[in-house]
Amino acid sequence: MNTNSNVYTVIYTTVICVLVAAILAFVSQALGPRQEANEKAETISQILTAARFGEKAEWDSKGNDAVLDFYKENVAEAYTVDAEGVKNGTLDISKAEIVTVSGLKKENYAIKDAAQLALPVYRFKNGVTVLPIYGAGLWGPIWGYLAFAQDGKTLVGAYFDHESETPGLGGKIKDDPAFQAQFDGKNVNFDDAAAFAIVKGGAPAGKTNAIDAITGATMTSKGLDEAINVWLQAYKPVLNR
Amino acid sequence: MDAKLKETILNPIFKGNPITVLVLGICSSLAVTVEMKGACVMALSVTLVTGLSSLVCSLLRKTIPNRVRIIIQLVVVALMVILVDQFLKAYAYGIDKQLSVYIGLIITNCIVMGRIEAFALMNKPVPALLDGMANGVGYGLILVVVAFFRELLGSGTLFGFPVLSALGYVNNGLVILPPMALILLGCIVWVQRAIQKDLQEK
Repeated sequence: MNTNSNVYTVIYTTVICVLVAAILAFVSQALGPRQEANEKAETISQILTAARFGEKAEWDSKGNDAVLDFYKENVAEAYTVDAEGVKNGTLDISKAEIVTVSGLKKENYAIKDAAQLALPVYRFKNGVTVLPIYGAGLWGPIWGYLAFAQDGKTLVGAYFDHESETPGLGGKIKDDPAFQAQFDGKNVNFDDAAAFAIVKGGAPAGKTNAIDAITGATMTSKGLDEAINVWLQAYKPVLNR
Repeated sequence: MDAKLKETILNPIFKGNPITVLVLGICSSLAVTVEMKGACVMALSVTLVTGLSSLVCSLLRKTIPNRVRIIIQLVVVALMVILVDQFLKAYAYGIDKQLSVYIGLIITNCIVMGRIEAFALMNKPVPALLDGMANGVGYGLILVVVAFFRELLGSGTLFGFPVLSALGYVNNGLVILPPMALILLGCIVWVQRAIQKDLQEK
């Protein structure tokens, strides 16, 4: 057969494209529910890690069910707030129906445009409040969770994740426990120019609302700094309550 | 036949190494050699993907129209990578999280396309599979060597465990940045050409 004729080429590429699309669509449909369950447990384990209920690796080894159980037992309330910090929705916390807001992209735009907001707030029984943040790193989106003590100023901990930051450099916001541990016990100060700062070259000694940036990851550190401050401003009414 | 097969497997690992001799896959070897863990994950995934996509392209080799072969190859490679990603996401979420950063790097890795183009389209499936995997191993070997020096001298650790940093070593910022990967690669090419005289250009 002449594999170089125009007709053959067109038919061949069409068949391959349709076939590949069909395979991908089928696989994505078939595996969808399992993937969603994994993603939900991942989101919750990140929230729990930020609130310092345990190490991230521990949650990962315990499995989805244990994570959801722990969350259900310890969470007091989960809801969304608008720009004034007034509750405008609840997130289900019963085990089968746990709802988290994982796609924060929309809210990130809403904050910047001052549009209709529904910012998620997770309150735990021990008084810790976890607030998500979302922003842009060097290569793609970065997001994470800040956990505050009852006073709304002191940070209990933080956890960050990213889609495609460089491993070993920007990727350290997720992988370097020492970077995340810097947040523990720090606080936010809305009277300062920046409520919280990630400082290139090292945070000034004695400053309680600043931490060191990551060497070789200037853009990721900047992106995280901006994300934290944008969302802190949006959450200001919740924190100052 | 056996000697040829052995040659297919051994050649890419040293004599015809994809990075140091063919100079393919340089971009990703600069990006993912900051730490050993990342380099190992990348090496394993590239080995798997080059092997599988070479196999599939070799099976299709007699039917692929010559004029659109690059596009067909790209579709096959992308399909393989996405399938692996989807299955991991459903059944081994922990591994998938480690890999997610590398998925994009694998699809665009020149070695995958290079081996399909240069070998798989002209050879039977089994040698094509072996050639793909051997190239992945050859690529991974260089990655691991470069990552060893970069993690050790840049962060003072190996696989995240403190080695030099425990001895009071001060981290070298230059080693963490991509230019150092290029310098180290240059050193490896130098060593290899010193050993293997026939690679030296007159």
